[in-house]
Amino acid sequence: MNAFLEKDRLIPFLDVLSQQIEVIAPLATEAGAVYSTWQGQPLDLGSNPLFPPTEFLLPHKETLFRYIQESGRYTFKEDSIPPRLLFAIRPCDLHAIALLDRIFGSEPSDQAYFRRRRATSLVVLNCTNRGDECFCACLGAGPEAQDPCDLQLTDIGDGYLCQAETPAGVLILKSTFNLLQPAQLEHDQEKARRIQLVRDAMPRDRSCHQIRQAIERADWEALGQECLGCGGCSFVCPVCHCFNVLDRGIPDGERLRCRDSCILSGFSRLTGGANPRRTAGQRLRHWYLDKFEDLPKITGLPGCVGCGRCHLVCPAPIDRSDLKVESREAKK
Amino acid sequence: MSEYTPMQAEIADIDIESPNTYLITLKLLEETDFRYLPGQFVMISVFGLGECPISIASSPTRGSLQLCIRRAGKVTNAIMDCLVGDVVGIRGPYGNGFPLHRMMRDVVIAGGGSGFATLRSLINYISDRREMFGKVAIAYGARTSQDLYFMQEYKSWQRAGMEVAVTVDIGDELWKGNVGLVTGLIDRFDLNPGSAAICGPPVMINAVARKLMERGFHLSDIYVSMERHMKCGVGKCEHCTIGPYHTCQDGPVFSYDRVREVI
Repeated sequence: MNAFLEKDRLIPFLDVLSQQIEVIAPLATEAGAVYSTWQGQPLDLGSNPLFPPTEFLLPHKETLFRYIQESGRYTFKEDSIPPRLLFAIRPCDLHAIALLDRIFGSEPSDQAYFRRRRATSLVVLNCTNRGDECFCACLGAGPEAQDPCDLQLTDIGDGYLCQAETPAGVLILKSTFNLLQPAQLEHDQEKARRIQLVRDAMPRDRSCHQIRQAIERADWEALGQECLGCGGCSFVCPVCHCFNVLDRGIPDGERLRCRDSCILSGFSRLTGGANPRRTAGQRLRHWYLDKFEDLPKITGLPGCVGCGRCHLVCPAPIDRSDLKVESREAKK
Repeated sequence: MSEYTPMQAEIADIDIESPNTYLITLKLLEETDFRYLPGQFVMISVFGLGECPISIASSPTRGSLQLCIRRAGKVTNAIMDCLVGDVVGIRGPYGNGFPLHRMMRDVVIAGGGSGFATLRSLINYISDRREMFGKVAIAYGARTSQDLYFMQEYKSWQRAGMEVAVTVDIGDELWKGNVGLVTGLIDRFDLNPGSAAICGPPVMINAVARKLMERGFHLSDIYVSMERHMKCGVGKCEHCTIGPYHTCQDGPVFSYDRVREVI
């Protein structure tokens, strides 16, 4: 089911949705676009937020269950998960969600992830503008949605072409029908034209294969010397999903899942002190090998969606896609 | 409830194996079909302090569930401070375990230090299914004689027709046995090339595997139980990855040809 939404009706459209469900949208803040609960604040639909929307599926900290002790025995409780709608997420992040679905869906599947995933509706905003570091087209992740979502929006100038892909998407359009107009054939053509422009503007030299070659060529010791080991690249990567499990509270408390990063020095260190990846260079290389060698073997898809966030956030003079040390000036 | 919610188990018995190692026997408090194989592990938790992976030290042929806990970190310290009757959390069993069907011929079992715990599960399994295996030789090394585990069981293994050789790194006046490396014990075994199970520190694994290769063992018949940092046990948290493998799901037992580069 397709429809057309004029730009000045976007806010009323969100008003209707937010009365039914918590809407997470890219809000305009002093720190740039940030995904957060929309309650009428100004939106920023022009840039992809630095922190990916996947953090609403795999939060930085979540309670796996609560334990309550009574006479030395425990009872366990899981918190209920509120339904949510992720609004205006980009095709690259949608592709990352498809990857996370495969990773967490491999046997035994991770119900803590899928409890959130099943409660989440996805509305994608196709990309009609290219970010400076974007290369999603090289990895088959964008600029048009490649993976299942509930509703696709595309900015075609004076409004959005809305394309529902699931019953949930159709319900969204039905609940907002008085704000919508019928979609025309020209809308489809304009969508295709605008997306092709973005596709043409993308670099072509960053395919999975090309980055694998860069991994082989790279001087990991030199890159390791520059890497600060901050883990920033992992925390903005929509595909990164490493986590730690820890407890808080005695005798009653909660078992938490917190995001972690294989870039951090203690990530794979054993209790006895041995560490299979001792140097920053080994850890950085592992970060890349996991995305471009191992995840393709496990999931059939590259573990990178070409959003370029790792390069944007990396404080070190490292070109995160060419895998070279770059001059400090170039990074600025 | 998700995979992360543990079952409760009561500590039914505690045996002291060495000054810093206890063998604890667990009784699950829930009616459940808890079946495991030698070489598998569980995630054990003390609520409020966290969770850690511990290999199963008992054999599935003997009914009880036993774990060998060495004082090493926050969670293991807390387990060792537990008393009989205290409740811990258990998830699992996880991992692949030893490929028993491919090991049903002559077997060398080589353990170093606390790595011997998972091999005890295999040894007792073989002991109870003795007719299915060929000649079995066990080589075990610990730091000192105080650190040797399961000493009261060596005789029963010998009675089951298995060769048992033990060594320590540092001898003392009370120790009348071997002093030296585990590889030195293997030289004495009269064995045909068959299968092998190794668990211990990386240096020891490589040395034993080299020795076995010299004796004609195939790399793919040498099974190594790998130790890695783990948080989830279900192949998601990425702490235990070795290339495309998750030690917790694809391992912890790997044939030596698959992991020799990373040991």
